[in-house]
Amino acid sequence: MKERRRGPIGRAAGLAEGLAATVRRMQREREPRVLVYDETGYARLVQPDGRGYERLLEIAGRMVELVDEAEAV
Amino acid sequence: MAGTLTPERTAERFCELSADARAAVLLDAAGSLASSYGVGESGSAELAELARSLFEAVDRAHRDIPGGPPEQVEAQVEGGTVYGSRTPRWTLAVVGRRAALSSLMLMDLRAVLGELEGGPPIRRSTAAGEPARGPATEEAAASESPVPELGRDAENGA
Repeated sequence: MKERRRGPIGRAAGLAEGLAATVRRMQREREPRVLVYDETGYARLVQPDGRGYERLLEIAGRMVELVDEAEAV
Repeated sequence: MAGTLTPERTAERFCELSADARAAVLLDAAGSLASSYGVGESGSAELAELARSLFEAVDRAHRDIPGGPPEQVEAQVEGGTVYGSRTPRWTLAVVGRRAALSSLMLMDLRAVLGELEGGPPIRRSTAAGEPARGPATEEAAASESPVPELGRDAENGA
């Protein structure tokens, strides 16, 4: 399908949409999350209200801190 | 056998292979520290304890999740991502950079644990810019394996 030619306002709106999508994606990527994978590689998301979720994030956070501390020495 | 990966070398080996790995720890089936890399001696014991706790928490979380027992875990937090992989004999946990590609890290974890358990060693591809090992002749090109690693194996074995 031939793309419809857009004027300067349309192009600016397109750029803004792209920028907003990038910001949304970056925010989503920064959100804490936990995934577990079975032996076939099938991924399952641990839900934030699920058992062990907070503990998993706490442990992972401490592991990252520990490496930060070691690298700072 | 020369070139076999040992438990003592495994954590370091993983960090050598993966540019996005900052630290790694290997535990044996009993949960004891087998090797660590990236946290110094003082941090090793704590990193090992955290890796043990990570999989304990995974097993608790798994009770609410359908499917088989988790073999790998990925926990993304501010400042980095923690990856873990286990076999019946070993558990390898890694602290990676935030920008690390999860699929690659998880694949590398499986590959390194596979190598530790006697699987084929991981080979890195040769850069295209690397100088040729001999004169570029038609005969030499014809004898080259389309898979360089296999060709090198044959040469080493000869």
